[in-house]
Amino acid sequence: MASSTTGSLRRYLVTRLLLVIPMVFILLTIVFILMRVAPGDPIQASVGAHLSPAQLAVREHQAGFDKPLLVQYFNYLGQVFTGNFGTAITDHQPVTQVITRNGGATLELTLAAMLVAVLVGIPLGLLAGRMRDTWIDVSSRLFGIVIYAAPVFFLGLLAQELFGRKLGWLPTSSQASVLTQLDIKPHTHLLILDAVIDGKWGALPDLLKHLVLPAAVLGLTISGVVIRLVRVNVIQTLRGDYIEAARARGIGERGVVVRHALRNALVPIVTITGLQAALLMSGAVLTEQTFNWPGIGNRLVFYLEARDYTAVQGIVTAFTLAVVVISLLIDVINAWIDPRVRY
Amino acid sequence: MRGLRRALAPLFAARGLPRVLLWVGISLTAVFVILAVFAPLIAPYGFDQYAADGVRFPQQAAPSIHHLLGTTVQSDDVLSRIIWGARTSIEVVLLALLLSIVVGVPLGLVSGYFGGWLDRILVLINDSLIAFPYLLLAIVIAFLLQGSIGGGVATAAFAITVIYIPQYFRVVRNSVLSVREEPYVEAGRVLGAPPRTVIRRYVFANVVQSVPVLASLNAADAILTLAALSFLGIGIDPSAAAEWGYDISRGIDDAQAGYWWTGLFPGLAIILLVTGLTLVGESLNDSINPLLRQRRFTAMAMPKAGLEPALAPETAGTSVIKVRDLRVWYGSERGPVQAVDGVSLDVRQGEMLGVVGESGCGKSTLARGLLGLLPAGAVRDGLVEFDGRNLVELPSEEMRWLRGPSLGMVFQEPMTRLDPLMRVSAHFAEALRTHEPELSDTEVRRRSLDALAGMGIPPTRFGNYPYEFSGGMRQRILIALTLVLGPKFVVADEPTTALDVLVEAQILEILADVKRNFDTSILFITHNLGIVAEACDRVAVMYAGRVVEQGPVSAVFADPQHPYTRELLASTISLRTTGLRYIEGSPPDLLSPPSGCRFHPRCPDVMAVCSERFPPSVELGGGHPVECWLHV
Repeated sequence: MASSTTGSLRRYLVTRLLLVIPMVFILLTIVFILMRVAPGDPIQASVGAHLSPAQLAVREHQAGFDKPLLVQYFNYLGQVFTGNFGTAITDHQPVTQVITRNGGATLELTLAAMLVAVLVGIPLGLLAGRMRDTWIDVSSRLFGIVIYAAPVFFLGLLAQELFGRKLGWLPTSSQASVLTQLDIKPHTHLLILDAVIDGKWGALPDLLKHLVLPAAVLGLTISGVVIRLVRVNVIQTLRGDYIEAARARGIGERGVVVRHALRNALVPIVTITGLQAALLMSGAVLTEQTFNWPGIGNRLVFYLEARDYTAVQGIVTAFTLAVVVISLLIDVINAWIDPRVRY
Repeated sequence: MRGLRRALAPLFAARGLPRVLLWVGISLTAVFVILAVFAPLIAPYGFDQYAADGVRFPQQAAPSIHHLLGTTVQSDDVLSRIIWGARTSIEVVLLALLLSIVVGVPLGLVSGYFGGWLDRILVLINDSLIAFPYLLLAIVIAFLLQGSIGGGVATAAFAITVIYIPQYFRVVRNSVLSVREEPYVEAGRVLGAPPRTVIRRYVFANVVQSVPVLASLNAADAILTLAALSFLGIGIDPSAAAEWGYDISRGIDDAQAGYWWTGLFPGLAIILLVTGLTLVGESLNDSINPLLRQRRFTAMAMPKAGLEPALAPETAGTSVIKVRDLRVWYGSERGPVQAVDGVSLDVRQGEMLGVVGESGCGKSTLARGLLGLLPAGAVRDGLVEFDGRNLVELPSEEMRWLRGPSLGMVFQEPMTRLDPLMRVSAHFAEALRTHEPELSDTEVRRRSLDALAGMGIPPTRFGNYPYEFSGGMRQRILIALTLVLGPKFVVADEPTTALDVLVEAQILEILADVKRNFDTSILFITHNLGIVAEACDRVAVMYAGRVVEQGPVSAVFADPQHPYTRELLASTISLRTTGLRYIEGSPPDLLSPPSGCRFHPRCPDVMAVCSERFPPSVELGGGHPVECWLHV
């Protein structure tokens, strides 16, 4: 029995993977078109002011901007395929290296934020759905709406003000103090994981302290969406026939709500949360900017200000691929929760 | 005009708290719209005015009577910047929404109407755009447009528009597609008449309903996106207009120096406006989404008993369950629904009592009333005696412990009664562990497999999921799941209605075996009189919340005493039936049942008294009471 279940799961995932390919192509094409229809000359836009026309031509040739658009398009696809996004125009850093190095910090932040969002959002949404139209429901919903209505960077400002400066409990900027940063050898670029790998337990308190505020701010914003999702779906599953049947067998209210209603509600919740990956990343860009977190979003803003096309294109592509990977992951999770999906 | 009324209808449909939330949202939004429209009149100064009457304002002054919300490092008045900022936000949002609707709606119409490869390509692009991190998209577009047309309102609006076009596209396309597949449109096409007007009307109605929801939620989102763009320095050019997100980004630096007011107030403005728009959108959504529409019954006091209590049949033998004058009322929006109104009956040990009647006469409510499975807001009174206790007065937690080990229930629709995400084995483990926590794993397994074997489900299927079984098998699993706890009394609520005839016979046989082998008492609800004749010992005939006649099946069916029973029997189909008979009219609305005997408007033997007074219950002998003036 078990082997046939895993077999069908694998088959399902292979099919799903094949379906992703056209989506990746379309997204990459959109990125390419966006970056290339831009009026003006990319090199000139970034560093043009300081260069002679001859130097400019050399740089353009290096970056491949003098080739026909179609050639550039296939070069771009080739870059994506080989994972080599070229060299940033402004600071001559290999873009791929920027993505892996700073992507680790972003991953650390988003994972922690997701944890906060789930820990806050699921219980509140569940309570709201179960106690529908009572004051508990209304206050959880209002909390969700207001917290989502607050720009991440504004919440960040308030948190920095309160916990950083007024109370002095937590650092308000960067991923680690300088000493810790020097102490840790980067393997995965998720500093917490790297510290654990090398057994540097002493660095953990410092790392966690730096993580608390950004993760809480981003996580709370997203919890607003999670509350709404859980509430709506729990209200719907609580009307399920199997819920009444479970009650008729004397199953306790907690079992009914958590084991049956919440678990069944999770399928749509996970799907939509997956679609919200876009939201998570958009929030990450802003959170990193607010807390000076050395993530990939932080770099993106830096290169945007420098008008560095090569770097911007590489980073945007990386975000795009991340969205695709997340949507695949979500499908795996759903297939794992719901036997009907993999059937 | 009709469209407008339809669009506005949700504003007045909501009741109670949801209505309050909706109006709070509308008011918040209205305040900002007024600020935006009348900014030149309301704002004390211009958005980048740093001096008045030749006197420069103080820099970073705390809120005071001169500058209610303080001033910025550039000596700008914070209050004025907030008011002008409202204008910027609303301009950008309106422009962005207008653009997305103007582009998204026609694209959706074309894509849905013509279909084919065009539709497929548009949908693929659309889905990909939706998956894209929206802020990144806006960032890239704003970044590119800034190079060409500068950082004004239009740039910001364009950048934001791209995010929302796919949403309008999808709504419109899907509604066109769904109307195209309607049978009457399809039929029209076959007949050569392109039913454009039908499509136009239907799509319009749909768009009128969903676009306000989308638009208000998108507006909320657009304000956040605009603020984010400006925060990152690629939104509105600070020299062109005031913008809240930009002010917050300045405020972060100020806050470090202790000037809290420059960032706080624009942040609060964003929160208030976005909250307002979200409340409007969500409330509208709640009122058009049928799945979320309020279906709660309002709690109400049980009205005083109005009718004479019905007689219970005088019968020998011990009753497992004794029901006297049970009443179940729902409070509905139109008033109390008297679903079960004074029912008295007994179910004896090892007996199967059939309950028959047309749909909507209170059979299922009776079943749920006995087990305490009523929705919130329903009220019960009367007596349901089981094991020496009145179940009606039992606290709900004690009632729960009886459900399962003492009182069981089998439902009408087996396809949806098992949790789709749980293996059959997990259903059994859950039920057994709840009521007998001391059981070992092997005992749980043995008991479950025994119960399943009794229903003809082989042990190899124990680990399967519900979707792997047919309807008939699921019903047998559900019966096994009910019986594994060994209840003395089981309610079977039309357990075979959803199944085919062969499976029906199988289930009936199983229930008969259960009754015989375990001495279980069964209340069998059905509208199939054939089943009652075949399987039940006694029968109770329900009409409009009352049991109008009950007695031994042989006596009642051979010589029905209530006109309703007689009509019901006459309208059954058998091999000897030559013509179709039915009872004129339909069961009464239980909100306001007819005066006197509730059957009198449809009764062939109606007399003058029937419409005036409620008939008393008369025992005809042999445990056969009837509620009819004919027998008084």
